Amino acid sequence: MSSVSYGDNKHFEHLKLPMTWAVMGVVGLVCIIAALMLLGDRSEQVEAEAYARRQGFDSAAGPVNNVLSWPVHKVGDGTNWLDDYLFAVSENRILRKKVAELSQYENMYKQERDLNSRYEKLLNLRTEPALEMVAARSVSVSRGPFANNRLIDAGSKKGITFGNPVITDQGLVGRIVGISPDVSRVLMVTDVTSHVPVMVMRSDARAMMNGDGNTGYTKLDFVRGKDSVREGDQILTSGDGGIFPRGLPVGEAVKGVDGVWRVRLYSNRGPIDFVKVVKFKDFSQLPDASTLLRSPPVSDILPPPAMPKVDPQSQASVSAAASSATSSAAASTPATPAAQVKPPVTRASSSSSSAPRPRPASSSSSSVATSTPALKPYTPEAAPAAAPSTPTGTQP
Amino acid sequence: MKPLLKRGLFERSPLNRGMRGGMAAKIVGPWDWIILPALISVAATIVLATAFQPFGLYLPEPVTPFLLAFAWPLIRPSYIAPFVLGALGMFLDFFWGAPLGFWTLSLMLVYAALVFARTYLIGQDWTIVFGVFVLTEIIFFTICTTFMAIDTGSVPRIFGVIEQALATGAGFPVVWYLMEKYLHADVRFQ
Repeated sequence: MSSVSYGDNKHFEHLKLPMTWAVMGVVGLVCIIAALMLLGDRSEQVEAEAYARRQGFDSAAGPVNNVLSWPVHKVGDGTNWLDDYLFAVSENRILRKKVAELSQYENMYKQERDLNSRYEKLLNLRTEPALEMVAARSVSVSRGPFANNRLIDAGSKKGITFGNPVITDQGLVGRIVGISPDVSRVLMVTDVTSHVPVMVMRSDARAMMNGDGNTGYTKLDFVRGKDSVREGDQILTSGDGGIFPRGLPVGEAVKGVDGVWRVRLYSNRGPIDFVKVVKFKDFSQLPDASTLLRSPPVSDILPPPAMPKVDPQSQASVSAAASSATSSAAASTPATPAAQVKPPVTRASSSSSSAPRPRPASSSSSSVATSTPALKPYTPEAAPAAAPSTPTGTQP
Repeated sequence: MKPLLKRGLFERSPLNRGMRGGMAAKIVGPWDWIILPALISVAATIVLATAFQPFGLYLPEPVTPFLLAFAWPLIRPSYIAPFVLGALGMFLDFFWGAPLGFWTLSLMLVYAALVFARTYLIGQDWTIVFGVFVLTEIIFFTICTTFMAIDTGSVPRIFGVIEQALATGAGFPVVWYLMEKYLHADVRFQ
């Protein structure tokens, strides 16, 4: 093996590797690491564990973003001032018109609210309690087609937890998916991994609102029912699944050029600078899959359904007919007392029998009744004795 | 004795190249053409992610590391650049909230393709390089869309992908600037 001498002892500096292939080796190594990370990532399932590893990065990115975006915010303030200055007159006209319209609605709203509260008391409705909210400022936003996220400057120190809905004064923005002490990450409803159960206010039809990276419009999938959605219908959260509370305003229905129903988001009416995080917890404690699999089936927990009452006379006639049939069959067999006859029970017959097994009536089977609670139909509480019962329509 | 890494990254003193020592009139270190552009790319990404809508319009969201993934292998194949590019991809994954490894893998595929195509592109007119840039960008965003569709099960809006591709393509002058500045700056790059 011959060696080339350069006149110095720095052999490694003269070492010549096949550069392209060596670099490709490095590239391949990084690609393998990235592919493993991509395969192991479960962020599309929107679970707390999937975003936990981003906690440290988010907590550091918030302050850094605040520093770097300071000039941008200053420029923004300037453009806003210019915008206000140039369009003040036209905006004033529009606002006067709106105030005149809304003052009518204000009176109607007060009357309806009063009436609604009376109905709630009369019907003894279990109204949902007022939800606590935390205000926060949007620090940064990613609005590309592959990810729609937002960092806000409030975190676990203010009591924010995974899954809390995020709204603006206009409507729904998204939900919390990553939490650090001072910064939280919001998954926007426009993200490709976002799926929000919604309902159409007019028809009460249910649908699923799926994001696809479009910043202003989201898709409305799985719309059920004929004529359940019309142009301009108001879309609210349905509360199904317990992720969002029922009734948060989301947007209004529009039909896209491709014939797909979409939701024009209310939150897109203005810049999302400040948001409110709703501390909604009612349905957040859902059991995990393993707990669900270990739980017994419903048929084991619930008592058997009550059999219909049988008329004694008709039962007697049925038993007479049955006894005549058995007597004719027993003519060829040795006579045995009816009480001692036991039908031959085999494992095969009991398991493969297609006929439904008769269930004991709850009133007659005392053993079942003592072991499981009996279901009772709901009966409203009796009216107070002091209140006289008046016929309908005669109340003042 | 100064640390080797510090000397290699930040110092501009010419290395002793033996018989060819006199040829290296100027040494361009990794700080000049790898680390500093990478930091500028990170800063630009953070600034453009500010929650700010001038006159109701959204700020563009270009994939600035893509410009570096295109320019770096054309300037010179390097051992440091793939690691820095991987770090930039990880930054995008974390900062934009994409699946971990999504941007890293997509950018590394661009880098790998350009390492092989380098010999065909060096010395070409800017129109040829721009054509290859556009072609690479189309393939890059197609890969990204495919990865996202496989990972999440839903296809991102194509018009949004085109918007981001246009914003990224507007950064081609940066690619050309880097190539003009560093391609012939060091005889070791030839």
